[in-house]
Amino acid sequence: MIVLHRLIRLLVVLVVVTFLSFVLLNLLPGDPVTQILGLSATEEARAQLRQELGLDQPLLVRYLDWLGGLATGDFGTSYITRMPVGSELAERLPVTLELLVAAQVIALGLAIPVGVAAARRAGRALDQALTALSFALLSTPVFVLGVLLILVFAVTWQVVPATGWTPISLDLGWNLTSVILPAVTLGAGQLAVYARLLRTDLIATLQEDYITLARARGLSPRRILWRHALRPSAITLITAVGLNLGALIGGTVIIETLFGLPGVGRLIVDSIFSRDYLTVQGGVVLISVGYVVVNFTVDLVYAAVDPRIRRA
Amino acid sequence: MGRWRTAATLLLAATVMLACSGQRPVAGPPQSGAPATGPVQGGRLVYALSADANGFNPITDQFAAQSYSMAGTIIEALVSVDAEGDWKPYLAESLTPNDKYDEWTIKVRSGISFSDGMSLTGDIVKANLEAQKKSPLTAAVFVPIKSFELADPMTVKVVLNQPWVAFPYYLSTQTGMIVPPASLNDPKAASLKPVGTGPFIFKEYVPDNRMVVTRNPRYWRQGLPYLDEVEFRILPDSQTRAQTLEAGGVDAIGTSRDEDLTKFGALKDAYTIHRAQGMAVAEYMFLLNTEVAPLDDVRVRKAMAHATDRKAVISTLRGGLTEQADGPWSKDSKWYTPGGYPDYDLAKASALVKEVEAEKGPIRFELISTPDPNTMQGVELAQDMWRKAGIEVSIKQADQADLINRAITGNFAATVWTQFSAQDPDGEYIWMHQGYAKPVGDISLNMTRLKDDELSKAFDVGRMNPDEAARKAAYKTVQERLRELVPYVFIDHLNTGAIVAKTKVRGIGEHVLPDGGKGLPLTGSPIPYHPFGQLWVSER
Repeated sequence: MIVLHRLIRLLVVLVVVTFLSFVLLNLLPGDPVTQILGLSATEEARAQLRQELGLDQPLLVRYLDWLGGLATGDFGTSYITRMPVGSELAERLPVTLELLVAAQVIALGLAIPVGVAAARRAGRALDQALTALSFALLSTPVFVLGVLLILVFAVTWQVVPATGWTPISLDLGWNLTSVILPAVTLGAGQLAVYARLLRTDLIATLQEDYITLARARGLSPRRILWRHALRPSAITLITAVGLNLGALIGGTVIIETLFGLPGVGRLIVDSIFSRDYLTVQGGVVLISVGYVVVNFTVDLVYAAVDPRIRRA
Repeated sequence: MGRWRTAATLLLAATVMLACSGQRPVAGPPQSGAPATGPVQGGRLVYALSADANGFNPITDQFAAQSYSMAGTIIEALVSVDAEGDWKPYLAESLTPNDKYDEWTIKVRSGISFSDGMSLTGDIVKANLEAQKKSPLTAAVFVPIKSFELADPMTVKVVLNQPWVAFPYYLSTQTGMIVPPASLNDPKAASLKPVGTGPFIFKEYVPDNRMVVTRNPRYWRQGLPYLDEVEFRILPDSQTRAQTLEAGGVDAIGTSRDEDLTKFGALKDAYTIHRAQGMAVAEYMFLLNTEVAPLDDVRVRKAMAHATDRKAVISTLRGGLTEQADGPWSKDSKWYTPGGYPDYDLAKASALVKEVEAEKGPIRFELISTPDPNTMQGVELAQDMWRKAGIEVSIKQADQADLINRAITGNFAATVWTQFSAQDPDGEYIWMHQGYAKPVGDISLNMTRLKDDELSKAFDVGRMNPDEAARKAAYKTVQERLRELVPYVFIDHLNTGAIVAKTKVRGIGEHVLPDGGKGLPLTGSPIPYHPFGQLWVSER
């Protein structure tokens, strides 16, 4: 039943989001015809191409046409590359997915120990140092951090490539080295957010009566922290992971351009600049579906983490 | 504690693994033991470009500088341009005009085959030229062409409806690039997997990431190419592109940043810098719409030019690396005529503004700019200069697509613009001739919409008169009229477009044409391109 509800909600979200993006994109001045034909094409040639692409049709007709195609799994054909949008997105999705997953793994993998350490020594020197580091990471724009990381790890130490992308299918080792800098750059801001959230929630949890009781029963501080305090303190963190997906997808646009990665974010931005409406629409669908699915998964994870939610 | 230790150990191990992995080698050692002074066969080159191509089919895809870099390794043109800027036959053995220059006979070079095995013939050349004439991309350029006839199996006759002296130059660009019949029949495939007669063969293309080409063993020019493989990497961010070169991730990069020229220029032992010169360099300017008020008044346009301190713009924006422009052609071109441009003179500018204001009221208009910081800096600088003369300019940001659309439809007063890098002045015919100026609202290739008889007649003479002295005189008139009527406020010749390469990369801009003459080193903007067939990698 929950799944059905979610599916209906997803469909509503998709229709609203794609319609709005379609309208907004078409309101942008400039058109794909000039991008395709260049400056020196004649007016007749432009008119002919406009007709071929269906751009002479009213906006609503074009949108419904596209929506009809989408219902059958057809994302349309790119105006610029003349390739099916579906296959273009499929080619680029693994790059962005890997980047997102790697960034989240790095952010969570570091945020949990950092948050726990800070909460355990709340108010002390380590906590203050970690707080300062978190704020520094939060306030550094990704493009500055990316350039700095390239300078240190690629230019000076030469331990990872500065830019470029090697697919997993080609070479797993090179794939990992090519994703590490972009993932760290993308994940750094999230790391700071997650660590701060976890620290705050853990400090509150550690004040709870059942923790005092556990201490009184003689349980070791480590056991109390990891077994009894961490799980109930992770709810906000899990929520943030789901919600931050949107921010991360936005971040991939910059990261993919900075590091020369052929991902979905870069495809969407390039397509906006070239007024390749259908490719942008395909990207919007992908992101919307991804966002809804991730947040649905987050709801399921809540129940697994906190039995009280399951019972409710 | 044990878990902490495990995590720390894993992290350390991962770091060590990464540290040991190092950089992926990008250029293999030379395969033969040729002397260090001459070209060496073999090796791999990784070359970073700033943008991807729209496609590699010269008939259906609009070619930018990066498209020429990539597709030019595979597809060749009928004509090339030499170091003096003169056209030379390439896939063509000869191009001969009739007495009136309204008919050109193209004799195709024999013994050339495409990498798919098909021989190059007159029939294929004719089919390519016909496809180009039908293509909406080039329809306006090929307007003077009446028909193509096959005179014999290796000869194509081009019949024109007017004399066209500079016609061969157009065959040195994408309009003269020749693809096999299979590509003509399947343009979509040709767009993704180009086939041609060039020194390299298509191997792999991943959009927005890389294109790899390998040596064509059947290349018609003996001993070429030197390299076994070239990988083009698409790295759009200029700063990380330069960092990738420093990190050893690529062997050469294209750039238009003056800081790269300064930085890598100081490291002469490690890097070489190759810049485009002469007619190959585009001009940076403000394009003015002469059809709309207040810029329909030549006094306002002249006041803007007088108020523009080009020297200050160059020192502020380009680190003093470029030359001031006073027309579409630079001083090192044989077509250049000096004098007459309204130089920086604030008093003159203010006087003209006062004169116009007395008649028509305050001078106010909107200037369009792309939002990138460097362009905006230049636009704000100009805004300040013009304000000092009494001209109020508001700045409107528009992305590239919007800006171009406004320019061709006339929905603008003034805009930043970069253009004019054709090898022959006739290349600017469609952009400046009054026949291509349409009313505001219609698509106009002459975007200033300036209609001047004298200027247009001079362009006609330049197009139709084969006598070089007469052509020079005609283009002198063009420059004089442009300086008199100021449809463009010129700033500088953008020769900061460059290729920066490690010193081991040899042969950039040093290619030799089939007749033994030196080819044009680099051309195109904002980042120039060059042939790759004669590039090689030395041991250091």
